Amino acid sequence: MSIVRVALDLPLPRLFDYLAPEASTRDIGYRVSVPFGRNLRIGVIVDWIANSEQPIDKLKPVTAILRDIPPLPTNWLTLCEFCARYYQAPLGEVMAFALPPMLRRGKIPRLKKIKLSVASTTPQESESAPTLLLPSLLAAQQAAVEQIVSATAFQAFLLHGVTGSGKTEVYLRAIEATLAQGGQALMLVPEIALTPQLEGRVRARFPHTHLVVANSSVADATRARGFLDALAGDARIVLGTRLAIFTPLPRLRLIIVDEEHDASFKQQDGVRYSARDLAIWRAHQQNCPIVLGSATPSLESFHHALAGRYRMLTLPLRAVAEAPPIVRTIDTRREKLQEGLSAALIDALELRLERGEQSLVFLNRRGYAPVLACPACGWISRCQHCAANLVVHLADKHLRCHHCGFETAIPHACPDCGNVDLQPFGRGTQRLEAALIERFPQARVLRVDRDSANSAKKWQALLASIHAGEVDILIGTQMLAKGHDFPKLTLVGAVSADAALFAADFRAPERLFAQLMQVGGRSGRADLPGEVLIQTEYPTHPLYQALIDHDYSRFAQSQLDDRKTAGFPPFAFQAMLRAESPAMGESVGFLAQARGVAQSLADSHITLYDPVPMRLHRLMALERAQLLVESDNRPALQHFLAQWHTALYALKHPRTLRWHVDVDPLEF
Amino acid sequence: MFDGDQTPALSINLTQLSGRLQERGALRRTPAGIPVLEFSLAHESIQMESEVERKVHCEMNCVVIGSQAQLLAAVKPGDELKVSGFLAARSLKRRMPILHVNTIEFVEGNKNGI
Repeated sequence: MSIVRVALDLPLPRLFDYLAPEASTRDIGYRVSVPFGRNLRIGVIVDWIANSEQPIDKLKPVTAILRDIPPLPTNWLTLCEFCARYYQAPLGEVMAFALPPMLRRGKIPRLKKIKLSVASTTPQESESAPTLLLPSLLAAQQAAVEQIVSATAFQAFLLHGVTGSGKTEVYLRAIEATLAQGGQALMLVPEIALTPQLEGRVRARFPHTHLVVANSSVADATRARGFLDALAGDARIVLGTRLAIFTPLPRLRLIIVDEEHDASFKQQDGVRYSARDLAIWRAHQQNCPIVLGSATPSLESFHHALAGRYRMLTLPLRAVAEAPPIVRTIDTRREKLQEGLSAALIDALELRLERGEQSLVFLNRRGYAPVLACPACGWISRCQHCAANLVVHLADKHLRCHHCGFETAIPHACPDCGNVDLQPFGRGTQRLEAALIERFPQARVLRVDRDSANSAKKWQALLASIHAGEVDILIGTQMLAKGHDFPKLTLVGAVSADAALFAADFRAPERLFAQLMQVGGRSGRADLPGEVLIQTEYPTHPLYQALIDHDYSRFAQSQLDDRKTAGFPPFAFQAMLRAESPAMGESVGFLAQARGVAQSLADSHITLYDPVPMRLHRLMALERAQLLVESDNRPALQHFLAQWHTALYALKHPRTLRWHVDVDPLEF
Repeated sequence: MFDGDQTPALSINLTQLSGRLQERGALRRTPAGIPVLEFSLAHESIQMESEVERKVHCEMNCVVIGSQAQLLAAVKPGDELKVSGFLAARSLKRRMPILHVNTIEFVEGNKNGI
């Protein structure tokens, strides 16, 4: 018999066998249309077999093998298989996610109109060194480029360079060398918002090279075409967000992960993969170098570099500005703040206004105030669907849940006692904006957060007005922290940063440090020296002291020591089983059942914790609980998870309950 | 809960007071956009107590919410007002009452005091 095994996008950890009389092993990797239930579904052929474990008369024939595009290559299939195995996800789901939506639906993009200007350049011309004047490299940049370029086999590099030290230039030189050798380069960036700027820079450097941008905002047909161009080897550079890791690249010779510490490389729903970690695996599979770049590497990567598994490349100097910004803390313990602003910060803002320079006040909380409260009776604006408060958005007079998206008009009076004089409590970017406008009526104040920049177009417009010098004081969330150079910005003030010092999540200090380092790096980038002022009630905290000294290594080392003592990653490997259902009892009950099963499977390397409600224990009207599994040994954990995951499918649970496994979880 | 037809004895809360507008806060708005003005009234009068006339001075902290807040925002300190309203605690923690003003009467034409 001739049978194909098909990966279908279904939440079941198995493949489906279909009769395909004309098929052969050459059809592995083709998409296929098959009957499933009463519908047709598109899947990917992952194997050809002569005998099925299932009775032949139960098998249905395939409807059609879609040979309109080349088969997906073996290394793409193995990448998906690894992802499915490691992250405990059904292979069909992984592949459905890895394919651009159009190809997943069994369609293909129409042929592109040939652009004459591009078509007329021969490959030889397009790959020769560009004639534009390249910036000269500092010694450390030069050394980094040489090391990367001379790596002919798998080697992970950790490019640790402070903001402005010229990491991008190192990437571009490494890409240049890869292109010159006829290879393809894959570059991952954390956010869609960052791609246009970087894309512009890459295109300017390689004007005749076929570059593909892959992220979720790219139109369906364009994305599918980019995927196919990469698959054919025509696209030489692929630049994209985490999903770009699944782009097939037959001549892949270099992977770059910029801002490798960024949490957005980990997908938080569906297939919960880490694009950075898959990138390492893929570089290994492809036997090519990979560069992880960051000013504040993740502790996981830093730990690998210290242990010698990754090679550390350090860029100590800022390539553009002469000196790093001066970082200072402002002790707010004994000061009465004016609308959250200290006198020192107000003075510093005043000075920048006088000098005609830009300032940025960093507050990572959007909205006007995090909660609306009734001072008469104690009512607060809770979300009816989540264990969270509704945030006051005064700009459009709404209360909004930042977790589930629920929104409602700001009530006229307290729903409990009727008091009209309701008070917003706490401070978000909108409130800070109002306070700064009042304090500096002559200044042009601009707020940049996900509400003011809610589309790519608006975001670009905001950036343009900042660059044009039409703004004196910026108020920004972390949106502004990444990858943007504002030459006239010389002051960054951070307010309300302290909360993260004592958060329950053990990664909170790591994120805070990265965030402040990044946002501080916005200041003083061109010829103007920068200053960073951090308002805090803990001015002597080691985290702030390390920021003052620009000493990431010291901070990282002390965090690693803490993690080692506490047995946290990277000294332990974790997986989380989460369950959600309308009732907490059911969620916890399911996890208790799962724990029972786990006990019979776990060896001495595995630690099973108790099922507990999650910190955000109610989200979108579902009660959520989690069960943490930990091990000092990754293979042991993987071995356990594979068995456990299979057993979990056999557990009975209410139909309204959903569960998933998250390997290497970032959220607790 | 707010049944207007019945007024049980324990729900009586009516205060009338005249006086000069003393301090006036800035007109602010609730998050829903309703104007709020806090002010204090300096009261001076002669009242009977234990069958004896006596002088009375006091200051009352008041708040007015709604369209009348905007009216009051235009009044000069020193001008005389007659207000009526109810008493309510300032907040859960600060239990001393302030007068929530429902009606304001502007007393005109007596610039020289009583």
